[in-house]
Amino acid sequence: MPQLITEANELATAGVTISHLSKSFGSNLVLDDISMTVAPGSVTALIGPSGSGKSTLLRCVNLLEQPDRGTVTVGSTTIEAGAKVTDRALLALRRQVGMVFQSFNLFPHMTVLRNVAYPQEKILGRSRAEAEERALTLLERVGLRDKAQQHPGRCSGGQQQRIAIVRALALNPRAMLFDEPTSALDPEVGVEVLAVMRELADSGMTMIVVTHEMQFARDVSDHLVVMADGHIIEEGDPRAIMAAPSQERTRRFLSAVLER
Amino acid sequence: MEAVVAVLLGLPMTLLVTAAAFAIGLVGGIPLMLGLRSRHRVVRLAVRFVVDLIRGIPPIVWLFVLFFGVSIGALRFNALAAAIVGLGIISAAYLAEIYRGGFATLPAGQTEAARALGLGRRSTFVRVLAPQAARTALPSVTTFLLALLKDSSIASTIGVTDMVFAANTFVRQNPMTAGLTPFFVAAAVYVAISIPLAIVARRLDARMRRSA
Repeated sequence: MPQLITEANELATAGVTISHLSKSFGSNLVLDDISMTVAPGSVTALIGPSGSGKSTLLRCVNLLEQPDRGTVTVGSTTIEAGAKVTDRALLALRRQVGMVFQSFNLFPHMTVLRNVAYPQEKILGRSRAEAEERALTLLERVGLRDKAQQHPGRCSGGQQQRIAIVRALALNPRAMLFDEPTSALDPEVGVEVLAVMRELADSGMTMIVVTHEMQFARDVSDHLVVMADGHIIEEGDPRAIMAAPSQERTRRFLSAVLER
Repeated sequence: MEAVVAVLLGLPMTLLVTAAAFAIGLVGGIPLMLGLRSRHRVVRLAVRFVVDLIRGIPPIVWLFVLFFGVSIGALRFNALAAAIVGLGIISAAYLAEIYRGGFATLPAGQTEAARALGLGRRSTFVRVLAPQAARTALPSVTTFLLALLKDSSIASTIGVTDMVFAANTFVRQNPMTAGLTPFFVAAAVYVAISIPLAIVARRLDARMRRSA
């Protein structure tokens, strides 16, 4: 199987650093002074019960949520909460980070090809021919070239999610965020998506993955972060934590997930 | 037969008033919709007030005010202009609300995905949200057009020579023989335009749904 992103080797992927990040929704403190480092080219899995703040943390990395305090650094771009964030700084950050959502969020009025090509034209200034050629190459690599002229509504969930990954990759991101990418999918379909993610990890992409897929977290991620109630309660080597969690809270969460 | 011809002579005026007012509404509804969706609270509230005010005043009052009330220096509306402007303003307010509703039904994930890709506000709005909102709004826009076609008949009250005006005139000129025939003729013509329009709109909507 060819490498999914040759570019990842050319453009060094970036690390992600989160420091002293806090975020409230109203009076509800969702993230409480979170600090975390993701080394370039590494994969971090973020797990924890729902409501623990893991999705919010992920969304703070590309500023879909504005943190109240703290800083987010991707590569050489740092955004500090509180200070007025200019649109330019925001775009500079987002252009380095690709994101994949639980609900895919493909644009339903565009064909699969246009979904992947249009952002490249707009953001990287590629010509239409160039963008579509790259889109087709990437679609080919995830086995969906024959879907190029269809609308996303005609594709299965697993296909849509692979297209969403390709759409983000086509912009040459230096890090990728995944927000429960397989939670909306049947298990056997999720496997196709996980396979693409595994390949991406092997090719050296920096990834932060919010997931309930414990096997993926154990086998693919380099670093495991367990969150509960807006705090990181435990982090470290995925196999070590899963074999012997040091926190009671982690133990309860893991046994609940694994029993399912 | 005479009645039919007399009423049909009013048809071009009915179509003119409807089409012109609808055109004003289609275009004028856009800035109002943008105001209703503004990031600034003050703008939002102000435009909301204007839209509700326009919709709160009965169309016939609008036409009377514009026709009898407006005389600023040399500017006076003749009956046709007052009808087109009045119905145009009302259309803009209703269509703004319909457009806004089209955007409101879009999942938040669409905006988030566009932002996460790094698309700016403008591209997100024009290329991602607006085409989808237009699709959702299309059935309501057509329904509004059909209502406007019939409402254009109130222009006859200020002397625009549309179908209803023509029917009225014919009845007055032939009090012994006309009966209600001219009004039935007018009704039949309204129906004859409305039904095909509704069918075309449904087809269009179904086709868009299939491709989406």
